[in-house]
Amino acid sequence: MRELFAAPEHAGVLDDATRSEIEDQGVRISLYADIRAGVVRALRFQAWGCPHVIAAAEAFCDTYEGRPASEMLEFTATGLMQSLSVPVEKTGRILVLEDAVRSLGSAAGGASSPDD
Amino acid sequence: MAESQELIYLDYAASTPVDSSVARAMTDLMTADGNYANPSSTHAAGRSSVAHIAHAADQLGRLLNIDPGTLIWTSGATESDNLAILGAARYRRDRGRHLITMRTEHKAVTDPFAELEKQGFDVTWLEPESNGVLDIAKLEAALRQDTQLVSIMHVNNETGVIQDIERIGALCRAQGALFHVDAAQSVGKVPIDLEALPVDLMSMTAHKVYGPKGIGALYVATRPGVHVDPLLFGGGQQRRLRPGTLPAQQIVGFGMAAEVARSRMAADLDQLTALRDQFWSGIRDIPGLLRNGDSEMGFPGILNVSIEDIEGESLLLALEPLCVATGSACNSKSQEPSYVLRALGRSDALAQSAIRFSFGRNTSADEVDIAIGLYRRAVNKLRSLAPGGAT
Repeated sequence: MRELFAAPEHAGVLDDATRSEIEDQGVRISLYADIRAGVVRALRFQAWGCPHVIAAAEAFCDTYEGRPASEMLEFTATGLMQSLSVPVEKTGRILVLEDAVRSLGSAAGGASSPDD
Repeated sequence: MAESQELIYLDYAASTPVDSSVARAMTDLMTADGNYANPSSTHAAGRSSVAHIAHAADQLGRLLNIDPGTLIWTSGATESDNLAILGAARYRRDRGRHLITMRTEHKAVTDPFAELEKQGFDVTWLEPESNGVLDIAKLEAALRQDTQLVSIMHVNNETGVIQDIERIGALCRAQGALFHVDAAQSVGKVPIDLEALPVDLMSMTAHKVYGPKGIGALYVATRPGVHVDPLLFGGGQQRRLRPGTLPAQQIVGFGMAAEVARSRMAADLDQLTALRDQFWSGIRDIPGLLRNGDSEMGFPGILNVSIEDIEGESLLLALEPLCVATGSACNSKSQEPSYVLRALGRSDALAQSAIRFSFGRNTSADEVDIAIGLYRRAVNKLRSLAPGGAT
């Protein structure tokens, strides 16, 4: 978790990208996805929250680049909760990320790009 | 610090390193060449141990200008606070059951008062002004004929705010109430003359002033009506007020720490003031930065700041390798906003973003410069990470 928090390589925004934004549980998350031919080419995030939220957002972006966009619809935070040793009292905050990812997946369902 | 040369320790309000002369004095006593005898033993070695303890009491007594016989050794300030508050309230319960304290006291004070409330005592909880200072008029209005005990800390552990214990004590004395002061953050750091101050009970600890952990003391004035009921029983040591084998090496360490503190207090205060001012000058222009606690009536070793739109836990982690505190050390493991800063009127978000920087004898100006850079960088990083932030 500390490494992901300290050097979040996917922090930032993507212009002209599919986007989702959620604010809940004292957490704010924005996700940006460059999706071409149904594949996630690039992901970026912005987040305001505790270190676990930021690390989880970075971990998601790192994991889902190159995967089918449809997989985001089935994203669950359970794996990240375990791999990042997220304290149980922070479950609600990590579920905000889950909601943001699924929202991004939904938005991506209708998204297209010049290369499609 | 020995564990990592990269760490920068700015958490001296939580604990301090043991002064080398203190460590030597303690070690000399603990080994086979020293005097490790039980001070309760009547043989020659035991009597020698008693003499070492008496010398330490003299050293602490000189620091505070008191008769060393007024000191009761405890395990630390938490025990001293408990003994003072529970002990005095119970001793005087037949005279009245009204007690007064402040919302911004350490948990070692607020929790015993909460316990006494459960036992039927009537506690008035005074609110501070927004700068953390107690408005004396509030205390004056709260004092009653049946008020038996008032407990107000000297230097606040989170904000460094100094309360006017001379005026508070005078009011208490005029009303016939005992006055207890939690001085864990002030003994050995700021001048205290208990011969002159109207204080009946004062709690202190060694490890905040370059002494060892695990030893503290309670001052109990020799004045009619000033007494505490014991909390512990068995052995009869220390006039039956706090039984148990006296830890001679810890006490000797506290005594030596007091002597060192007395000899260099003025120099320490000058150094801390310079470091605190250097740090504040280096960060004060950051947008959204707020200083917690009165800047004039504050102990220079502590600077507490909140910052708008920054999440506190992330800030603390982004500040590594700085060793600093969110709220008090006792609260740091919980993510609850500091109740002290909430009492000063800070919002949950601002209280949660608060960082306490506390400086000490081993802090250098170079370390403060590094800390300034780390704080500025951490704030910029977290603001750039946030939705709507610069990228």
